[in-house]
Amino acid sequence: MTERGGFEGLDSCVHCGFCLQACPTFLATGDESDSPRGRIELMRALETGELAPADPGVALHLDRCLGCRGCEPVCPSGVSYGRGLEAARALLTERRGVPPLVRAALGALTGADVSRFVYAVARLLRASGLPRRLAAWNRLGFAMGMLAATAPKVGGGRRRSVEVGRGAPHSNLHHPAPSSTTSPVLLFRGCVMEGLFSHVHDATIRTLQVNGYEIREVPAQVCCGALHAHAGLRDEARRLAQTNVAAFGDDDTPIVVNSAGCGAMLKEYGHLVDTPAKGRAFAARVRDVSELLAERGPRPGAPLDMTVAYDPPCHLLHAQRIAEPPERMLRAIPVMRVISMPDAAQCCGSAGLFTLVEPAMSRAVLAPKLASLAEARPQVVATGNPGCLMQLGAGLAAAGVPATVRHPVELLDESYRGAGYYA
Amino acid sequence: MTAGTATAERGGSLAAALGEIVGARHVRTALPERVTFARDGLPTHRHVPGVVVLPGSRDEVVAVVRLLAALGVPFVPRGAGTGLSGGALADDDAVLIVLTRLNRILAIDPVNRIAVVEPGVVNVRLSAAAAPHGLYYSPDPSSQTACTIGGNVAENAGGPHCLKYGVTATHVLGLEVVLADGQVVELGSPGGEPWGPDLVGLFVGSEGNFGIATRIRVRLLPVPRAIRTLLADFSALRTAGEAVSAVIASGIVPAALEMMDQSCINAVEDSVYAAGYPRDAAAVLLVELDGCREEAVAADADTIAGILRAHGARGVLSAADAKQRERLWQGRKKAFGAMGRLSRDLVVQDAVVPRSTLPDVLEAIGRIATAYGLTVSNVFHAGDGNLHPNISFDGRVPGLKARVDQASGEIMAVCIAAGGTITGEHGIGLDKLRYMPLIFDGDALAAMRAVRLVFDPLERVNPGKVVPIHACREWSGVRTHPGREPGDPRAGARGELSELAR
Repeated sequence: MTERGGFEGLDSCVHCGFCLQACPTFLATGDESDSPRGRIELMRALETGELAPADPGVALHLDRCLGCRGCEPVCPSGVSYGRGLEAARALLTERRGVPPLVRAALGALTGADVSRFVYAVARLLRASGLPRRLAAWNRLGFAMGMLAATAPKVGGGRRRSVEVGRGAPHSNLHHPAPSSTTSPVLLFRGCVMEGLFSHVHDATIRTLQVNGYEIREVPAQVCCGALHAHAGLRDEARRLAQTNVAAFGDDDTPIVVNSAGCGAMLKEYGHLVDTPAKGRAFAARVRDVSELLAERGPRPGAPLDMTVAYDPPCHLLHAQRIAEPPERMLRAIPVMRVISMPDAAQCCGSAGLFTLVEPAMSRAVLAPKLASLAEARPQVVATGNPGCLMQLGAGLAAAGVPATVRHPVELLDESYRGAGYYA
Repeated sequence: MTAGTATAERGGSLAAALGEIVGARHVRTALPERVTFARDGLPTHRHVPGVVVLPGSRDEVVAVVRLLAALGVPFVPRGAGTGLSGGALADDDAVLIVLTRLNRILAIDPVNRIAVVEPGVVNVRLSAAAAPHGLYYSPDPSSQTACTIGGNVAENAGGPHCLKYGVTATHVLGLEVVLADGQVVELGSPGGEPWGPDLVGLFVGSEGNFGIATRIRVRLLPVPRAIRTLLADFSALRTAGEAVSAVIASGIVPAALEMMDQSCINAVEDSVYAAGYPRDAAAVLLVELDGCREEAVAADADTIAGILRAHGARGVLSAADAKQRERLWQGRKKAFGAMGRLSRDLVVQDAVVPRSTLPDVLEAIGRIATAYGLTVSNVFHAGDGNLHPNISFDGRVPGLKARVDQASGEIMAVCIAAGGTITGEHGIGLDKLRYMPLIFDGDALAAMRAVRLVFDPLERVNPGKVVPIHACREWSGVRTHPGREPGDPRAGARGELSELAR
């Protein structure tokens, strides 16, 4: 941790305002207090002590930041907004503690024992089919929609995908399997991904195997700590980070992640752990699944006849600056049409626990995205982050847009299954 | 009961009354929220407004202005807050009316090439909306991805392509304006043709002193069919400056002719907007030629490239495709925002000099920078002679800001001595009040003030900007409202509005 705890990342802001239109909350309210530039002003005042962390006017607008970091890649001066925000939130949390709802959600989703029970109940509920029917705009309905969005699916939308190519060898002839030498990678399982998206882990393992990777498990790993850090709980985040750094050992085997939020956090460990050099070495090994797949082509699968809107997660596109690999991955699926909405780079409003604790702003940020998806009518919306999958899934269900949400790796998996690679 | 307390009592319910018009959540009275509106794009000026209000429609703007008129409370209109002269800042006794929520494009008429927009529409979004019709909105200030058309109107904004196509004033055909007293007036004719005295021309560039434009009718232009973008690099600032005059002397009017010096080049190349500018160049010129015939534009580009080489360009690169052109322009347009890489604080100046004096003036600026031990980076509209020296400094160093101000003053003096003036496109605002007496005498300033009083007799709109009325008694001499002294409605409003508003 640096002397100024991350606030120094804000020093290069010269107030040009080029970030304003990249900020989903500013677009929603038009209010400078809800913009990156306005929040930097608040964070600077917090650091100097001009404004107090107890001031509700400060907390309101810092709480309303999604932490999507959409402002960072447009900043000509390279302001480290995300690091400043974490520093500011740590100050707020020091002063007021963690709001009960955040504490409860953190326990339920990431607590070692509690979460196992919560996820088991959630999966039972999901299997009942009830959440899908209850999906709506109200708070409970939206939560149900989020849960329904985690269900494994085949095909897309209300139309079944045309199962062309099942077992058909036509595309495989031109794309022989990769060489028999395999590279080992360690799978980061996370908490929500493990609890509700284990089918995405399965798809990750299978598609990586087809592309010449050998997946190894790391049993001693824990939650990445992203939700804790965003809630201002730096010490808890640090403890989790140290545990993970120790669990994954110190060789240079790549660590594969399929959740953009976790990936972004793991890549920040250099700033977080007690031995920065170790944290940086760990961070350098972290790879998004799309990066590893894109490196190997990836191997094309069988055609899927559907239209997919790819919606990059903020923590992939903005925080990790990974734009091309997921698209390469999707292009490996013949016939499938991949479209990109004009506002694809905008946050969906999920932002970890944000959707639970700031529902009004979260829905306001989601609304324009849903409107453009409703117009484009893709069968599938693909995005590589659990929060975004749930948020978009719940929003689409509540708005009655007949599209399903899927992780890009699931689509590749389905395509590979059709191609007979798993036979 | 005195007039003062009467106003105070009315002011006490101000936030509530504003809330009744726009909804309570669009009225900001908490200190942290007001602090976020305390600066614009020139952050060395900081004024915390008394109350911030964000109306959501034209009717709400009118109602807010009428309420403030009834209470005698001064107000300041503000767009995205990307201005560079401290123009959109309000003091504690005034209400800041933020127009970002008025962001609808009301009409695009492709046949007559006209668009009607609300003031909060972001410049670049208008061009995006017009693009399907093969049209665009021409004025392209560097902040166009963030700034609003309303702000552009207030400042008569320029931009690189104004060299050929003219500044904002050339493109505004008509305005609907809310005056200080809440009266709504139409300026200009419905069809955009001249109609009586040019009141539109008078309003554009009035820096928020004449009222609030709530509807803006602008001209759209067809997207040029042929474009060539050249990047020429020079090993000396002087030769680059001489090349500018040579290009203009050729008779070919480039769409844009921009210059960046080495310090700017490096800041941009270090950023996400790295455009491939040569880092070892003392300066680069970015020259764009456009027109409707490919061969004609290509021939012009060849001629200009020849002139640039003859005047010392080490190399002239022509953008290979639209993507590279876009990169070259993004680098130029984001250069100002990249200045934070040099130091944490920044003052950008804006002066215009006769083009032929550019080489000498640039050298003089360099000498001033050296004398004061400051880093000055130049990125500017060379074809217009519109300079933007950026002075980078660390405001935490005691006494440094004073030195920066002195250096700024000297740079301005050099520009004026060269036959130039104190603003090209950023406006006077607060920042350049002190230079106004250097170029205008008392009579001229009094005349400006007299014009302003036609629109705003009580000087309640954006008070204290543009004309330095309070600084110099002898030429503040236009007779104002009889009750300017005690008893004036404004007198009571001059308390701490933010206190009253709670």
